[in-house]
Amino acid sequence: MSKYTEDDLREELKTKEYEYGFYTDIESETFKKGLNEDVVRAISKKKNEPQWMTDWRLEAFRVWEQMEEPNWANVTYKKPNFQEIAYYSAPKPKKKLDSLDEVDPDLLETFKKLGISLEEQKRLANVAVDIVVDSVSVATTFKKTLGEKGIIFMPISEAIQEHPELVRKHLGTVVPTTDNFYAALNSAVFSDGSFCYIPKGVRCPMELSTYFRINEGGTGQFERTLVVADKGSYVSYLEGCTAPARDENQLHAAVVELIALDDAEIKYSTVQNWYPGDAEGSGGVFNFVTKRALCETNAKVSWTQVETGSAITWKYPSCILKGNNSVGEFYSIAVTNNYQQADTGTKMIHLGKNTKSTIISKGISAGKSQNSYRGLVHIGARAENARNFSQCDSLLMGNECGAHTFPYIETKNSSAQIEHEATTSKIGEEQLFYCNQRGIDTEKAIALIVNGFSKEVLNKLPMEFAVEAQKLLEISLEGSVG
Amino acid sequence: MELKEKLVASYVAFESGIDIHTDIHEIRTNALRHFEKLGFPSKKLEAWKYTSLNSVLKQDYSLFPDNEIAIELADVKKYFIHDIDTYKIVFIDGKYSSFLSETTHDGMDVCLLSAAFRKPKYKVIIENYFNKIAKQDNLTSLNTAFASEGAFIHIPKNVEVEKPIQIINFTTGAENATMLQPRNLIVVEQNAHVQIIERHQSLTSNSVLTNAVAEIYVDRHATVDYYKIQNDSIHASLVDNVFIEQQSNSVCSVHTFSFGGNITRNNLNFYQKGEHIDSILKGITIIEGKQHVDHNTLVHHIAPNCESHQDYKGIYNERSTGVFNGKVLVNKEAQKTNAYQKNNNILMSNRATINAKPQLEIFADDVKCSHGCTIGQLDSDALFYMQQRGIPKKEARALLMYAFANTVLESVKIPEVKKRITKIIANKLAVNMGFDL
Amino acid sequence: MLKIENLHASVEDRAILKGINLEVKPGEVHAIMGPNGAGKSTMASVIAGNESYEMTEGVIELEGVDLADLAPEERAHQGVFLSFQYPVEIPGVSVTNFIKTAINENRKAKGLGDMPAKDLLKKIREKSALLEIDRKFLSRSLNEGFSGGEKKRNEIFQMAMLEPKLAILDETDSGLDIDALRIVASGVNKLKSKDNAVIIITHYQRLLDYIKPDFVHVLYDGKIVKSGDASLALELEEKGYDWIKELV
Repeated sequence: MSKYTEDDLREELKTKEYEYGFYTDIESETFKKGLNEDVVRAISKKKNEPQWMTDWRLEAFRVWEQMEEPNWANVTYKKPNFQEIAYYSAPKPKKKLDSLDEVDPDLLETFKKLGISLEEQKRLANVAVDIVVDSVSVATTFKKTLGEKGIIFMPISEAIQEHPELVRKHLGTVVPTTDNFYAALNSAVFSDGSFCYIPKGVRCPMELSTYFRINEGGTGQFERTLVVADKGSYVSYLEGCTAPARDENQLHAAVVELIALDDAEIKYSTVQNWYPGDAEGSGGVFNFVTKRALCETNAKVSWTQVETGSAITWKYPSCILKGNNSVGEFYSIAVTNNYQQADTGTKMIHLGKNTKSTIISKGISAGKSQNSYRGLVHIGARAENARNFSQCDSLLMGNECGAHTFPYIETKNSSAQIEHEATTSKIGEEQLFYCNQRGIDTEKAIALIVNGFSKEVLNKLPMEFAVEAQKLLEISLEGSVG
Repeated sequence: MELKEKLVASYVAFESGIDIHTDIHEIRTNALRHFEKLGFPSKKLEAWKYTSLNSVLKQDYSLFPDNEIAIELADVKKYFIHDIDTYKIVFIDGKYSSFLSETTHDGMDVCLLSAAFRKPKYKVIIENYFNKIAKQDNLTSLNTAFASEGAFIHIPKNVEVEKPIQIINFTTGAENATMLQPRNLIVVEQNAHVQIIERHQSLTSNSVLTNAVAEIYVDRHATVDYYKIQNDSIHASLVDNVFIEQQSNSVCSVHTFSFGGNITRNNLNFYQKGEHIDSILKGITIIEGKQHVDHNTLVHHIAPNCESHQDYKGIYNERSTGVFNGKVLVNKEAQKTNAYQKNNNILMSNRATINAKPQLEIFADDVKCSHGCTIGQLDSDALFYMQQRGIPKKEARALLMYAFANTVLESVKIPEVKKRITKIIANKLAVNMGFDL
Repeated sequence: MLKIENLHASVEDRAILKGINLEVKPGEVHAIMGPNGAGKSTMASVIAGNESYEMTEGVIELEGVDLADLAPEERAHQGVFLSFQYPVEIPGVSVTNFIKTAINENRKAKGLGDMPAKDLLKKIREKSALLEIDRKFLSRSLNEGFSGGEKKRNEIFQMAMLEPKLAILDETDSGLDIDALRIVASGVNKLKSKDNAVIIITHYQRLLDYIKPDFVHVLYDGKIVKSGDASLALELEEKGYDWIKELV
């Protein structure tokens, strides 16, 4: 009897090509490979930055030089040679763009392939988009609409020019330059990224969105995102990532800092689909990202992520719950296939009274991949009545992959209530047969079951993203299902 | 002189003072070299992230106390489970006390490791089992380097040992601070059954540091129940390294009751080498003051169709610190594994700390593994309910703590041990329990 | 409609079905009865194509189409529906989403596009009313935390939605209280037509009080040992299965 088995599926997955693996021939200006103080200065100069910014970068670089690359994560890879990377690559000609019409048509074509039709999004989804290709932000839509509300949403390079006081006040306050190896590197060499400021009491009327893409070969992408939600404001921020298929490893070391002042709320959603490498495990993006949020009194930050890409993922979006009654949330789906390795999770640092955090992590491993959840829940001695609930579920497909859970729970306050649960399961033969009997083929059945498994997290994504995320899940696991 | 240097320096004198069996001599020497390289564990090591030995390593320990101190049975009877008949292997300051012991060679061996090292008839067993599953980590290596005395238990095939075996290490501390390194070897052959109760007891207010290692082999269809009563004086610290290898269809349970001591670190490792094995790890920790108890467990599922059950309860008062670091590792071949891990904690004070790290590392897809970890308080509704029915708050709290710990006590198979633990808990909570659990 | 000839099947090399012959015509209701372990559920699973059972010999045809080499979903597309004795739980997938996927996959197999949302909703409303199913029930995860009765009702609801040619009800009466049994049976009766057929697999004749069979077959040790009309079920109820054992 013919039957689509898990082996067939695995075979198909191996041959499934990376959908976004095209390369756009846009003329780029790229720095020579290598890193030293001069390169850091040159980046700063290229960006026409004020002296304080140059000094800030240099300080970070000097610290970075003294640091060692961390190796505690449950991943193995050949360490990148940091002198073999070009630290600046910008699409040329680079001039200031005021509207979409001025964007390079080739680039627009790229976005279309990515599924982001800017016009369409403008019309339908009411999403303001900032797009960062390689290292430079190329288009920020909806600037005017946002401007009327006093919302600032622009490339961080421009923000350094136009709103230096705001940037200087907040940059590096949540993720200090000395925080870790990759954060220090990012601080020294970041060339662009997004900056967002929501004024007091303003509810941002649309989703803000940034798309990141590494285009040029041999480059690293080091973008820097800073979101400041002033007292009583609200913003929902989306971030998407893709890169073309290349047989070398590309480095992505981003830093995201979120600051939610009193009574503010930030919802930060990521769909990460960097090139994961091919079926043999060569190529793919090394995704070493530092994301952290600071929550003041009554503030709330939600991180939602769907991670399907990257050869190596090292990423722990965190919340420092400093203010009383502040809330941190982390919802994550991490899918690994072939030779992908992910070590991802969150840190919830409870410092204020009555702080609450929720962690829902869904890991799906297939192929020969390794998928690890690593998380920290810390309840400080003064964090009266802190609450945490964590749920980490793993789904294994096939017998060559691994699923790992490394939660750290540290409590110094007797009024804390913490619950942590973890389970591991597989897709049952009975579930598949049941679906088959109702006329649903195995491939579709797996998609259905995986979707069900991930539902709690998918539900947290903004509508526009949920559809895309669901599609990505199917692509990364089910081959032709779409 | 720092403790590490002192230990290394004393090695030659130590070895020349005992019978040098060539094989053992080589194992010891290698272990010493290993320890010399690694040194004592520091918090930089992931496995020691939450436990620092610095404060206890500072003491000037007497390594080989040689005064023969006589102990009157009447003075120490309370430390034994004395209301039932048992075999006893008793050590005073690391030396065998024939007066307090009751050993046997009748159909089995319940005796001393030093004797097993010396006598030719044990040569094969020592060759096959000594230092075969003990990890090559810092403290285990240190123990191996100085391994000379401890319990040796060998239960042959089909023997069901009719009474429990007690292993008790007393420290008299006549020469101020004392460091002890007992080494136990327990081999339980096919279809044999044995119950063991272990205790470390300091009889002095001088500091004691015990670095114990036990290797336990559980052959096919054999059953081992091990009870560790840790209710030592506040001046005594313990690092207890246990390595258990199980073969098919065997059942091994280890219950650890941690109430006393200064710093207590339990490294409990299970290796499942066959199918249909059940491994049970349970513990109750109730501590206060500045006490520190760290449970570090590993269950390594190597073969298919096995189970493991972990259940650790902790109640932390005052400035005490608890650590639970449990790992379940499931190999690719270990399909149909059922592994459960549960760790529940109650913090009674704002100055107490609990650090938990319940880990799963899974490489097989057809498994059921779960862990749950909670940190919380006593149920205030239940407390109020009981108070409303006239039970004073103190007793009500004790009752709730009891109920909390009960799932662990339930599986204790020796009634006298259960009774003893109940009594210790009642003392600890300073209440008079008018009931038995 | 359904033609089974000399059907043999085994599980892990143990023979369970040992030569079954059965013909079911459109509009007919057949009951398969027999003691525990006779092979009743195996027969249902083999017709539906469960890979855990190996069909070693024989023919299964539905309207002239040989089912033997078809995957379970392809058999479903041909119009075979099996109401499971133990319906499977799928966490996170709602009843509605599941049935929507199933309907559209069946349509796709017939070269049709997705069913328009409006039509689907209408149909769901209609069929859920038929089985007295609460709207809230439809948004719950498939079979997760369902009571025995809810699970079986959900099976018949799916049957109503998918409109199969041949429905096999495997011990649908087990775990049902009398009210649930009545609802399920009346649902099945309303779905019956001259164009479809039903096979009821049951240990007791209680369900047959509500759904009148045209034929009753007694399965024993992997073979049909006796066939008759509805009265056979009553006779069996009265005399018990030992009576059959004596016959063999």
